[in-house]
Amino acid sequence: MNNPYLPIPVRLTKNFIETEDRLIHTFTLQFLKEEDENSFSYMPGQFVEICVFGKGEAPFGIASSPTESGFLKFSVAKVGVVTTALHAMQEGSILGVRGPMGNGSAVEKLKGKNLVIIGGGFAFTTLRSLITYILHPGHRGDFGELTVIYGARNPGLLLYKEELAEWEKRSDINLVCTIDVPCEGWNKRVGFVPTCTKEVAPCSDNTYAIVCGPPVMIKFTTPVLEELGFSPGQVFLSLENKMKCGIGMCGRCNVGGKYVCKDGPVFTKEELDRLPPEY
Amino acid sequence: MQVASLIQDAAKRLLAEGQVELVLGFSEGSLPLRSTPGFVRRPEDAVKLIWDHTCENNLAVYLLKRKSKTAIVAKGCDTRAIVTLIQENQVDRNNLYIIGVPCTGMIDRRKVEALLEGQELMAARVDHDQLTVEGKDLEKTVPLAEVLHDTCKACTCPNPVIYDELAGERVPEKPAGDFNGIEAFEAMMAGERKAYLAEELSRCIRCYACRQACPLCYCEECFVDCSTPQWIGKAARTEDNLLFQAVRVFHLAGRCADCGACERACPVGLKLSLLTRKMVKEVKDLFDYEAGLDLERKPVLTTFAVNDPQAFLVKE
Amino acid sequence: MIIKKSELSSFLDKLTGQYQVLAPVKKGLEFYFQPISSGVQADLSYSNSVTAPKGILFPQSETLFNYDVQGETADMQECLDTGKKVIFGLRPCDAKSLVLLDKVFHGEKYQDPYYLSRRANTVLVGLGCGEPRGTCFCASLDGGPFGTEGLDLLLVDIGDKYVVEVVSEKGASFLTGASLPLAGKDDRAAAAKAKETAFQACTINLEGLKEKMDVNYDDPVWGFLHEKCLGCGACTYSCPTCHCFDILDEVKDSTGCRVRNWDACMFPLFTLHGSGHNPRPTGKERFRQRFMHKFKYFVDNYGAFACVGCGRCILNCPVNIDIRQVLADIKAGGDEK
Repeated sequence: MNNPYLPIPVRLTKNFIETEDRLIHTFTLQFLKEEDENSFSYMPGQFVEICVFGKGEAPFGIASSPTESGFLKFSVAKVGVVTTALHAMQEGSILGVRGPMGNGSAVEKLKGKNLVIIGGGFAFTTLRSLITYILHPGHRGDFGELTVIYGARNPGLLLYKEELAEWEKRSDINLVCTIDVPCEGWNKRVGFVPTCTKEVAPCSDNTYAIVCGPPVMIKFTTPVLEELGFSPGQVFLSLENKMKCGIGMCGRCNVGGKYVCKDGPVFTKEELDRLPPEY
Repeated sequence: MQVASLIQDAAKRLLAEGQVELVLGFSEGSLPLRSTPGFVRRPEDAVKLIWDHTCENNLAVYLLKRKSKTAIVAKGCDTRAIVTLIQENQVDRNNLYIIGVPCTGMIDRRKVEALLEGQELMAARVDHDQLTVEGKDLEKTVPLAEVLHDTCKACTCPNPVIYDELAGERVPEKPAGDFNGIEAFEAMMAGERKAYLAEELSRCIRCYACRQACPLCYCEECFVDCSTPQWIGKAARTEDNLLFQAVRVFHLAGRCADCGACERACPVGLKLSLLTRKMVKEVKDLFDYEAGLDLERKPVLTTFAVNDPQAFLVKE
Repeated sequence: MIIKKSELSSFLDKLTGQYQVLAPVKKGLEFYFQPISSGVQADLSYSNSVTAPKGILFPQSETLFNYDVQGETADMQECLDTGKKVIFGLRPCDAKSLVLLDKVFHGEKYQDPYYLSRRANTVLVGLGCGEPRGTCFCASLDGGPFGTEGLDLLLVDIGDKYVVEVVSEKGASFLTGASLPLAGKDDRAAAAKAKETAFQACTINLEGLKEKMDVNYDDPVWGFLHEKCLGCGACTYSCPTCHCFDILDEVKDSTGCRVRNWDACMFPLFTLHGSGHNPRPTGKERFRQRFMHKFKYFVDNYGAFACVGCGRCILNCPVNIDIRQVLADIKAGGDEK
């Protein structure tokens, strides 16, 4: 029997300080064994339990895309025991991962559609995975127009600055970055994500919206999408709840009868409207 | 008049006059010899309140974080907990109306169970000082005093120490503390004592009913739940169970109202009062202080006097 | 087949050589399922154990694996328990609870090897309930005092002996070689009579409960049902169907182990996010979760109520919250009565 509690050993190859406030680091992990790398197959939107031996485990969305082989990437904020230990970790250290877990971003369903990807703060991690996947030459033709709206409190808190710069140059993606309040040296948009979404006003015809961000951003963005004509079935949201097992057994991440770990983390708004607001 | 009717009258009046929004008392339970906490908000529901020898819970635990004007039915020990909660600024006296009830002790269901030779308790009644219990095919009558909780037997505070009105006549005060069980425990050799506690606490299932039932265990984050740093193993292992109870009891030093709520809550019947009462005795011996008896007296561990005994600071 | 009561302890003695035998053992006033080394330790004169025997297959604390991480290597040793066990004398309600736990731990996509390997290597010998307690209501939950769901063998007490009924193939092969005498006609009649006369006074009516709970998330009833709940784990930890757990590390230098412990939905920490946000912030949400999980979510996911009517939560609740009353109140709904 395959033991879902046993982590796959990985090496931390890069511990990169992602944001100016130094509270978010991006970690690059590589499998110790080639067979593990080959059998680890994932899709954007999925997550893993990262295990820091001696400290425990915590779930993180995968920021890398399956189109980038040879490594896994995660961006992690320092909040608790595991993340604090992770931040302090030396490159070369051995960690574990369990996964991939969760349902992912339903990429098959998104094919042939225009996409509006809306992210806020450091919840942008799994969206990076999705965008990278879509922009891959082998996949770009499967999807229609791509609009990305990404907001952070200030420019220093935007993740993946190099990628953002590259995407900005491309013609097959409309990237809109915004910050909460004006700031010296920032000549792009200013304003919260919901307002920015309203201004960009993506067309809802044959379009899916994928939204990932802090609860307050989601709360104010979903009504804007509704105004723009997106039906609840056209809006995908990614949830976070406290998790332990990641496989639908330990009982804590449920929202109603659905487990965020096993049935999610990505749900349509239509599905969530039928569930209690316990997230 | 019956104590229960006095409680009901008071509750009805307080609710009808709008003096309080809630009366915390006892209602009839679903099993023989069990009552259950009753939350009464309408004058017409006051009839649900009861008073008898099963009203064993310390309702002061429900006062924590309550903002509205509340009345509480409180025994002597319960009022001791309330006094400490007021002293520790956890309860606002101005928001609280205490219906004090003199108490002659509560029945220990485990002692009753022991009488029944393995049979299930079907019914029970109290006549004067006698308790009659019925099993499937046996009936026994025993003096009530025999089946009271040990904490009740040793109680020195049968009358409420603080109240706004008293339901019933004061009962005779009892002589100073009886620490019989504790003295036997103290007489053990250290190794013996440890072995005894280990055996007892090997049954602990770490459900924290003791902590949750205790009005004075109100820490925002209990040390057992703390993860940075993690003070104690979370597994239900004997050594960690011991540490949990030891630290809990230490944290109650000079605060424990000696009400026995922790022991009564324990689903596996651990003799927790042995530890809490040992601490009560220590504090009394060292500082001549008993928690919650006097609202005006400063809590013992918040004061320092030059003549405080300090022998315990150094292992001699 | 029959086991004479006078020969029970020698029957168990023989088993202890081949299996780890767990049976009710009296400690003080209570009974606990414990490993026995000799048949005389088992005491079947019990109504039920304080905590459920689920803990044998799903222990309150267990090590999932040990690890040694040094330099470039991570050595992990999983701790699977594959020892042969017999749970002797468990009640039909508790056996049924294991069928419910099977659904959780044997998922479509993921299987829990720890529970399942113990389950596969354990023989369940049940003991029918001639005298259900006043708090027992298994018959209202598709079970019964002589229910056999989940069992391999069922013992029926007929006075000076037990009639042994074979429920599963595993049970049949367990008895091979035990050379027990066959049950006579009279024995079988006595067993049938015992089953017939077992009277369960308590029933609860669950009709319409699920339908009600499909729509009552915002019912004011939740606002007062939870009020007296202290938020301890006495109910969940004694419950035969509760299965929530926590996973954490215990470590010493470079070696450590990953451990899982029971956890409870009644504790605030259970769902508290690292950010401080808690999706079930007060006793109300947590109390509702416990009941929703048992009587709605579990039904949605697995097609059964996650309650077997053992009554332990009723007996163990420090403030006498009675699940039978709670369910009646949920069905009635509305404001405080």
